[in-house]
Amino acid sequence: MIVLENVSFCYTADNWILKQVDLEIANGSCTFVVGPNGGGKTTLGKLMAGILKPSLGDVYLEQQNTKDLALFQIGTKVGYLFQEPERQIFAATVRDELAFVMDLKEMAKEEINKRVEAALERFQLKEVENSYPFQLSRGEKQRLALAAILMHQPSFLILDEPTTGLDLERKEILSQVIRQLKEQGIGMVIISHDEKFIQNHADRILMVDGGEVKDVG
Amino acid sequence: MWAKMICLDPRTKLFMVLTVSSLAVFITNLSLLLCVLLLALAAVAFTGGNPLGLLKKLKKFLLIFVVIVFVQSIFTKGGQPVWQVLNFTVVSDLGLVRGLQMILRFFIIISSAAIMTTAKPREIIQGLVQCKIPYELAFMVTIAIRFLPILRDEVNDILTAIQLRGVNLKQIPLMKRLKTYAYLIMPMITSVLLKAQELSVAMEMRAFRAYPRRTSLRTLKMQKQDYLIIALCFFVFLLVVVLALKIK
Repeated sequence: MIVLENVSFCYTADNWILKQVDLEIANGSCTFVVGPNGGGKTTLGKLMAGILKPSLGDVYLEQQNTKDLALFQIGTKVGYLFQEPERQIFAATVRDELAFVMDLKEMAKEEINKRVEAALERFQLKEVENSYPFQLSRGEKQRLALAAILMHQPSFLILDEPTTGLDLERKEILSQVIRQLKEQGIGMVIISHDEKFIQNHADRILMVDGGEVKDVG
Repeated sequence: MWAKMICLDPRTKLFMVLTVSSLAVFITNLSLLLCVLLLALAAVAFTGGNPLGLLKKLKKFLLIFVVIVFVQSIFTKGGQPVWQVLNFTVVSDLGLVRGLQMILRFFIIISSAAIMTTAKPREIIQGLVQCKIPYELAFMVTIAIRFLPILRDEVNDILTAIQLRGVNLKQIPLMKRLKTYAYLIMPMITSVLLKAQELSVAMEMRAFRAYPRRTSLRTLKMQKQDYLIIALCFFVFLLVVVLALKIK
């Protein structure tokens, strides 16, 4: 569960992006964050993921204050998909991208291969497994970034505009993944402008505008 | 505050940078280098920058200084040993002096570069063009300055992203850490190349270099205070060079 208690945030003094936000996001639910551009949706997502620390108030991730957690500790609980997938792709091939962190953590080769194969199949990346990730289309990069996050089996996911660049077929694959993750009890916060996608998956909709966060559905 | 009232020409700022950074290269005396650093920080404050914030940022490089002292001590012949381990000189007085020289030079050059960040990118281009530098070169310099904050944000995001994959950058063994750094360099280089590619296409689309001669709506004009500061820079340059020669 992610809990925000009286959270306010500003990047520069007195320019409050979010003001006194109180929220609880339960595991296993799919919460969508909507609102105008520049309204603070990504900031809210980054606060929930512990990437940004609140200027006032506290954010709790599974009852631990994000101020007391290092990023690598947060990474074992929360997966965060950035708006630009290029910023979270590191390896020279798609296969290595999925495997390298597990390799760094010295996991057994068989387990790594098993997880990588499953991810390649699940996200339809098998055909490009030896390709250079930066030459993939935006949709493929998006799927690769999401697959790489899911390799670490986080209990919570925050996805910043995951449908950008996806065609109808790939959106359907993403929809299936979201349904499976919900069944597994993984909580999700999805920042999106895709109305149809929101209607299909939303358990709850939050509107971020003018520094306020309102439940709108 | 002064800078807002005085409003210096970017060419004057460029002259200040050239003076300070040239002194940093020519001088070897530590006390004089320290004086030049103070002058550079004063110039940053005078042009509207934040010298205290700059010093805080420079604090991060102190570890490099320690490494330089060790490297200089080990690989430079001569000097008296300051710290020895089993007859092997780990730190020598010469190594210490050379390490200090390098770090002071580094601080001076970074501080002097901070002077240019107080000027608007368009004004820098115009200033360079009026100094008879080809527009293409001036534009390149400005693009480099403009993209620095964007690249900094990207590097921060990349570092955040790899840590969010559960990688503890501080505690992984050295060999694996080097491998991890190789993974970090990949998105940084790719991002720079992609940006350069996109920018070049955007420039072509806006007919960059379509005509051999460019005109400009705005031209810069040097004011009295600009000439005064250039003369002052010239005087300071000569004074420090003379002092440096006398000390030798």
